[in-house]
Amino acid sequence: MTAYILNLLVLISVYAILSTTLNFIIGYAGIFSLAHAVFFGIGGYTAALVAMHVSPEFFVAIPIAMAAAAGTSLLLALPALRVRGEYFVAASLGLQVLAVTLFSEWKSFTGGIGGVIGIPSVELFGYPVYKPWQFLIISLICLAIIIVIIRTLVHTSFGRSLKAIRDSESAALASGKNITVIKTLSVVLSSSLAAVAGALYAFYMSFINVESFMLDTSVLVMAMVIIGGTATILGPLLGAGLLMLLPSALTYLWFLPQTEIGSIQQIVYGLAMVLLMIFRPGGIVSSHPGGGK
Amino acid sequence: MLRGKLPFIAITASLFITSSANSEEIGALFPLSGPNATYGDIFMSGADLAVRHANEDKMLSDDLSIIYEDSQALPQQGVVAMNKLVNVEAVPYVLSAFTGVSKAISTLAQRSQTVAVNGGGVGPDLAELGEYFWNVIPLANNEVGALVRYAVNDLGHKRFVLVYVDDPLGESIQKELEKSLPPLGAELVDAHSIASSAQQFSGVAARVRSANPDMVYVASYGSQQLQIVKQLRDNGVKAQIASYSAFSVPELQQQEEALGSLFTTQSIDWDSEDPITKRFVDDYNAEHGKNPTSYIANYYNAVRVFALLAQDLEEQGKEITGANLLAQRKATDTFKLVGGEVSFQENGTLLAPIQVLEVDGSGSGKVVFVNTAE
Repeated sequence: MTAYILNLLVLISVYAILSTTLNFIIGYAGIFSLAHAVFFGIGGYTAALVAMHVSPEFFVAIPIAMAAAAGTSLLLALPALRVRGEYFVAASLGLQVLAVTLFSEWKSFTGGIGGVIGIPSVELFGYPVYKPWQFLIISLICLAIIIVIIRTLVHTSFGRSLKAIRDSESAALASGKNITVIKTLSVVLSSSLAAVAGALYAFYMSFINVESFMLDTSVLVMAMVIIGGTATILGPLLGAGLLMLLPSALTYLWFLPQTEIGSIQQIVYGLAMVLLMIFRPGGIVSSHPGGGK
Repeated sequence: MLRGKLPFIAITASLFITSSANSEEIGALFPLSGPNATYGDIFMSGADLAVRHANEDKMLSDDLSIIYEDSQALPQQGVVAMNKLVNVEAVPYVLSAFTGVSKAISTLAQRSQTVAVNGGGVGPDLAELGEYFWNVIPLANNEVGALVRYAVNDLGHKRFVLVYVDDPLGESIQKELEKSLPPLGAELVDAHSIASSAQQFSGVAARVRSANPDMVYVASYGSQQLQIVKQLRDNGVKAQIASYSAFSVPELQQQEEALGSLFTTQSIDWDSEDPITKRFVDDYNAEHGKNPTSYIANYYNAVRVFALLAQDLEEQGKEITGANLLAQRKATDTFKLVGGEVSFQENGTLLAPIQVLEVDGSGSGKVVFVNTAE
C-alpha cells in the first residue's frame, strides 16, 4: 500500500510542477496555452536521450532538457505571441497537434509511436535514484524550487508587468511595456520549467511515448489550474492533487462497476468545471470567489 | 470538507470490502472505458470464461478470481493501475493489453517480479520486455514467415512490395520480408512507409503499380488498412494483397476490394474435437450466442497458463509468486491450451502454428494453408 501511495504522490508532484508552470502564464500573464504538454514531452524525450547516450546524472539531463524546451518555446512563442487572447489559444492548439505528429514520426528522437523504453534511473552525484520514496523527495524539492522561482518573479517588476498585460494589454502597451518580449520570456520560462516535470516523468516511468504528451494532457493540466485557482500558489497544487487522486479514489468505490469509472470520471471533471465557473470562477483557492483578481 | 475526505473514506471502506477470503487473485489491465473499451469487453469475456472453467475443475485449492483495473489503453493510467495491483492487491500475475501500456508496466513487472502477460499486441518489440513479460500470442514477425512460404512456394509469387505504417510493427515486418524472401528465390522490390494518421494513398498506389509486384503486403491496422486496400484497387493495382492478423476484423472481411486477399492468424480450429478447444468454443457460444475470436482465445489461454502453473506449484507445495511462476514456466515443456498443445520460446513468447486465410466474404476467411510452429 505504501508503494502505491508513493507512486501516486510522485505523479501528483510531477503534475503539480506542470500545473504550477502553466499557472505562471495563465494566471499571471493571461496566456491560455493548450500546448503545455508539448514542453512536458520535449523535456521527457530530451532527458531520456541524454540519460541513455550521455549521462543519467540529474544535473546534466535536467538542464539540457530545460534548454531544449526553452529553445523550442522561444522559436514558437515569437510568432505565436503576436496574436492575442483567443487567437493564441488557437495557435497553441495548432502547435500541440503539430508536436504530436512530430513526436509520432521523428523516430530517431522519440522512438516514434513505439516510444523510448529502457530509460535508466536518474543519478544524483553518481548514486542511482529509483526507489519511489527517493524519487518523491527529488520531485518535491524540484516543485519547491519552482514555486520559489515563480513566487519571487511574480513579486518583481517583471511579475507586475505580466499582471498589467493580463489585465489590459492595450493599457500595458500604452504605458511603454514591451509586451512581446515580456510575454515571450514568460512562455520560455514556463516551458523550460515544465521540461523539469517531463524529465522527472521520463526517469520515473522508464518509458515514454507520445500518448503521454497529447492534447488530453494539456487539457488536464489546464483543468488543474482552473479548478485549483489561477494566479495562486496553492491552487495548481490542489488542482493537481484532486485530479490525480480522483481516478484512483473512484476505483475504490466498490459499488461502481470498473467499466463505468472512466465515464464517471469525465462527468465529475465536467461538472466540477461547470459548477466552479458558475459559483467560484477564480477556482477553489481564490481570494476573490467572484473571479476578480 | 467532505470533498477532501472522500479518498480517505473510500480507501478505508474498500479495505473491508475488497479483501476476500479463500481466493487466488490475478490482475488484469484492460481498457474498460474510453474509445478502446470495446477491446476490454472482448478480452474480459475470454478471461472470465477461463476463470469459470478453472473453478469448475477445481484446479486450485482456492477459487480463482480476476481484479480488473481500467488502463484506458494509456501508459500512465496503466502504470498507476499496475502499481495498485502489485503493491496493494499483491497479485503475482497480470494480464496486459495494448503495446503502450505493456511497455510502460514492463519495468514495474520486472522490478516487482510480477508476471505480465500480453494477449492482444503483436509488435515484435513486445518480445524484448524482460523475462517477466510473456506473450500468449504469436507476434507479427512469426506471421510473415508463414505467409511468404505459401505465397512463394504454392502461388509462385516472386516480386513483393510492402506498404507499412512507420512504427515498430511495420519496421519489423519490413525486416522479416527482407530476411525471408531471398532464400525462397523472391525479392522485396519496394517498400513504402506511411504515417499512422495518413488516409490518402493514391501517390503510394501509383508507385506500387509502377513496381509491378505479384503481391502487395499491407502492414497497417484499423480504418487505415481499409483505405489502403480500397485506394490500391481504385488506382489500378491488380496484384494480390496480403497482411497479418489485423486483416481479421469484420470491416475488412466484408470489404469488396479485399476479396481474394491473404492474411495470417494464429491457427485455431474452432471445429476441433480437442476437449479444451471444444469446451471453450461450446461454452462461449452458449454464453454469448456467437463464435469466439482469437483475441478471446488468447486471454482465455493467458488465464489458463496461470491456472496450470499455479496448480503445479501447489502440488509441489510452493508459494504462488511471480518468480515461482516464471521458474515453473521454464520447467514446463508444453501447455495444453485452446488451439492445441503449445510451448513458450526462450523470450517468453508463445510458439504457435500460423494459418494463412483468404478473404472470401464469409466474415472469417477461408483457411488455405497451415504452417506448424517452428
